[in-house]
Amino acid sequence: MSTSGQSSQNVWVGIDIGGTFTDFVVYSSSDQSLQRFKILSTPADPAEAVLQGLAQLPHHPGRHIVHGSTVATNAILERKGARTALITTKGFRDVLLIGRQNRPELYDLFPVISQPLVPREWSFEISERVDCEGNILTPLKEQGLVSILEMLRHEAIQSVAVSFLFSFVNPAHEQWVTRRLRDEGFFVTGSSEILPEFREYERTSTTVVNAYVSPVLDTYLGRLEREIKPTEFHIVQSNGGRISVAQARGHGVRSILSGPAGGVVGARYLAGLAGFTRILTYDMGGTSTDVALVHETIHVTTEAQVGGNPIRVPVIDIHTVGAGGGSLATVDAGGNLRVGPQSAGAQPGPVCYGRGGTIPTVTDAHVILGRLPTDGFLGGRMRLNIESAQQAFDELSRQMVLAPRSGLDVRQTLALGMIQIANVHMERALRVISVERGEDPRETVLVAFGGAGGLHACDLARALGIPHVLVSPMAATLSALGMLAAEVQLDYVQTVMLPGDTPIEILERCTQPLVDQGQKDLHREGVDPDQWVLSRTVDVRYVGQSFDLAVPLTSMFREEFHRIHCARYGYSQTETPIEIVNVRVRAVGHVTPPTIPTRPLGSADPTAAQWEDRPVVLPQGMQPVPHYWGARLRPGHEIHGPAILALDDTTIYLGPTDHAAIDTYSNILIKVGATDG
Amino acid sequence: MDDPIRTEMMKHRLVSVAEEMGARLQRAAFSPNIKERCDFSCAVFDASGNLVAQAAHIPVHLGAMPLSVQACLESLTLAPGDVAMVNDPYRGGTHLPDLTVVSPVFVEDTSPPTLLGLVANRAHHADIGGMSAGSMPLSQEIFQEGLIIPPVKLMVGDKKNDDIWRMLLANVRTPEERMGDLQAQLAANQIGGERMRAMAERFGVQPLLAEMDALLRYSERMTRQLISTLPNGCYRFEDALDDDGFTEKPADIRVAIMIEDEQVTVDFSGTDAQRPGSINAVYPVTLSAVAYVFRCVLGLDIPANSGCLRPIHVIAPEGTLVNARRPAAVAAGNVETSQRIVDVLLGALAQACPDRIPAASQGTMNNLTIGGWDQRHNRPFAYYETIGGGMGAGPQFDGASGRHSHMTNTLNTPVEAVEYAYPFRIARYALRDESGGNGQHQGGDGIVRTYEFLQPAEVTLLSDRRITKPYGLEGGAPGQPGRNQLKQNGIEKDVSGKCSFPVEAGDQLTIETPGGGGFGEI
Repeated sequence: MSTSGQSSQNVWVGIDIGGTFTDFVVYSSSDQSLQRFKILSTPADPAEAVLQGLAQLPHHPGRHIVHGSTVATNAILERKGARTALITTKGFRDVLLIGRQNRPELYDLFPVISQPLVPREWSFEISERVDCEGNILTPLKEQGLVSILEMLRHEAIQSVAVSFLFSFVNPAHEQWVTRRLRDEGFFVTGSSEILPEFREYERTSTTVVNAYVSPVLDTYLGRLEREIKPTEFHIVQSNGGRISVAQARGHGVRSILSGPAGGVVGARYLAGLAGFTRILTYDMGGTSTDVALVHETIHVTTEAQVGGNPIRVPVIDIHTVGAGGGSLATVDAGGNLRVGPQSAGAQPGPVCYGRGGTIPTVTDAHVILGRLPTDGFLGGRMRLNIESAQQAFDELSRQMVLAPRSGLDVRQTLALGMIQIANVHMERALRVISVERGEDPRETVLVAFGGAGGLHACDLARALGIPHVLVSPMAATLSALGMLAAEVQLDYVQTVMLPGDTPIEILERCTQPLVDQGQKDLHREGVDPDQWVLSRTVDVRYVGQSFDLAVPLTSMFREEFHRIHCARYGYSQTETPIEIVNVRVRAVGHVTPPTIPTRPLGSADPTAAQWEDRPVVLPQGMQPVPHYWGARLRPGHEIHGPAILALDDTTIYLGPTDHAAIDTYSNILIKVGATDG
Repeated sequence: MDDPIRTEMMKHRLVSVAEEMGARLQRAAFSPNIKERCDFSCAVFDASGNLVAQAAHIPVHLGAMPLSVQACLESLTLAPGDVAMVNDPYRGGTHLPDLTVVSPVFVEDTSPPTLLGLVANRAHHADIGGMSAGSMPLSQEIFQEGLIIPPVKLMVGDKKNDDIWRMLLANVRTPEERMGDLQAQLAANQIGGERMRAMAERFGVQPLLAEMDALLRYSERMTRQLISTLPNGCYRFEDALDDDGFTEKPADIRVAIMIEDEQVTVDFSGTDAQRPGSINAVYPVTLSAVAYVFRCVLGLDIPANSGCLRPIHVIAPEGTLVNARRPAAVAAGNVETSQRIVDVLLGALAQACPDRIPAASQGTMNNLTIGGWDQRHNRPFAYYETIGGGMGAGPQFDGASGRHSHMTNTLNTPVEAVEYAYPFRIARYALRDESGGNGQHQGGDGIVRTYEFLQPAEVTLLSDRRITKPYGLEGGAPGQPGRNQLKQNGIEKDVSGKCSFPVEAGDQLTIETPGGGGFGEI
């Protein structure tokens, strides 16, 4: 799969650390076997669960590990990164404190503004200034570093971020300072190394995040490497690509938000095998739901934030909404029913878990409606308590004025209403990630994973006009699988700010250093050159605009810019001069993903998987609905809704007009009906 | 009785229409002011012009937008495919650069077509003509401020009304930018209209109209309930703007807030008469400031729509600073006076509920316009920005430093972006130490921003709180007033809060913005 020879002894292990479980997917290339298991996470020391899980595997001489790490993200969220200082151009040390001068909430008289990762007393200035053409206006006052070095030592600073104005045009000053600091033994991040792109706040923030998390990530990866001694050790980056640990260590910012990236990569891979290249991924968990867009490639953004800190490296564009299985139902001051964003979390969890919860959750609503079998949860290992859920619903309905829908009692009306409101929240999230990004959801497939997704997917797809839903039997460990399917992928950028009539030869010359760097890095990743793909793009805009569009760098890039502008924004202004803001290079090294086992299609008759008929509340009222054991479903089986499919890690609800078929990969592919009744 | 499930679902659906409009407008807009600083708002209205749902962007637009929509409904007969435009502050506008684009949404399978409602968006354009680049001049009558557009049709039956476009583009300094931004505003309304029609198809016209009504009642119910948590009584406060830029006399704003069970009366009687300078606020601006304050004080959770304003009665005598009469100049009324209106409202409410109200924030937007001829690129330029300052401290918190407050929340322009595009540089951009008022909780610090000019240019400043100070509360000290300083040929001198002057290459302008007031005695 990777490039270092497919010895029959090799296994690849994808590891995803989640809040509750650490998931393992083990793929052996010799017999193409896939093994999946979960270990309880160890939040205090995430490496512990990784080591425990790996200890369960037989020892292989060639062991390749791809890991999604939350260490960098947690370092920021928990403020446990390195003691980090910042050095800026004189006059600009408050760049992080001022940010973009806005407040996060408009109608909040006491906005909570997150404090920068570097406190003001560790922000230093040095006299120097370069202009936008790279001319030196003020020479670097080298002796200014002497007193700064003293302070850095006195304050026991571990990591230093250096970000000077226009260092991406002329990095001489910044490089001199970073070199001196490295000589002095500090971990150093220079802004022109990590992100040679204009806009000083975002660049400085990215640089500081890198400086803050990299030493922590380095320690963590070093420990794992020492204890596991893998043949190859990769981590998944936030852009959905993988990178060797050796390269990842100095670039911690690239692995931020890499956890959810695995799920999207896995969903793209499995959907691709099933023949779908335009998908919306839909991961509904206990407290929140993550959605993302794939159109051939995974949609990335350079406008991500973590813990209030912008990071301008490519990150999978994942939109999160506070609606999940554990979302609580309440009645507000205006008498409306609200669902979320408060959640019952893991403790106490939904009322039906019987762990002390008293406020109805979305999961409880499914139990009331008969859509979540109380004896089929987690393959029957956990029995759900319907009586306590019923009591909680009665209690809630006493707080509001609610007329029962025809054919339903008040409890059922309330439960159905909760599902509908949760669906509206998730529908909004899916619209944000598709319609607001210029993608028509009606041309996509909804790929559902996460524990609660299967109960909502068909109704959501219906509301958005999405014709098909795909649920993988591997839904519960999709993220770990995705790690193994991730390609090597590296992104490079350089701000150039050139007039639109710049000859293509000059633009190609500008991108050449990025191409060279990409090739060097792919080589270091051990990818064979015949598996390399390097693509060049330019960010173009009309003079006077403050935003740009990425256009492939060809001799026709100007025409292409006008065309894309018109397609995306509804107009183009071919008479207006354009300018080229950035050049970008993406270097991809293809890897061979694990083979997913297939079975030939058999009979369409699902009788062998049938469990029994039980009453379920449909929009029209209660009626007996067939239930199926997910584990007994076979490729070829077809099921007409209404039906409940109880899989090991998830439950699927088919509405009366939905129609499911099991494909050769054992995916459940649902053709979504037009109406919910 | 309203259905607690249907209303909740429709609330999210209608807000999502407005948000989708906003996303479209922001993506498609041409100018940095809309695209990057997000100086715009989008909303959905019912057939009578009541605001039903809006995407939260710039608060100054909240109370004023319905009046623009209503002005279009009164002046024009709107048919399917028509789109109206208005900026006249005396017909529901705020100040001239804010162009509001209004589209009726019809369901056409009935005869005659049913008016489902309207969608509208308002965006601040970087220039709308007038005596100075950027259209935020030191004016004495509205005619100097730019092109006044009463309700007119930008589109007639899906076709461009070419005469209007030509007329408009001939009167502005940067027509390409205006055209791009207007197209984006049209695109936003188009998507809003499509979404509304799709909802009518999915849920039915009558149920949709009924739910829009229900949503107004819902916000009204919530507002009434929350007002009833405030103690009954009459609370008075007054504060002043430094001057109007032409006479040195301070401009007083006075308010009395009467809380009576579930209702509020906000009475501005006693406020100074309108002034020659542009600090006059038209009524929609005043209404917006009132709407902003009550929305903040009562809680974030009420959907912003016209229902919120039903229990709130506003008395603003005509011909005063808070309800100017034509042809008073109004450019600064929207950006400066609106902030002081908020200050007096919060000052009064602090007596009713001291636990919910912060001390005064910087109380100005520090509007700066730089215009002239860019010799480097051989083209005219007009640059407009506003600068954050200190926020007021509250009963539990220090005030935030270096932020925009109250009636604006626009982003700054990056130092590196400025230098690429304009013939001046930023030499310093830092927090202004010790400008926040002392107190048990400290007021936030203002900002220092220094501009270094590379070529001759014309500078216009509309700023306030250069003399009066942002007040502290409960014994906290006031914040430091702001300061504008010009350095020419090595000589530094203070310049006034509202003024216009030429600069030469090598000159430096330093703006120090006010700090926020402190809270509580030390």
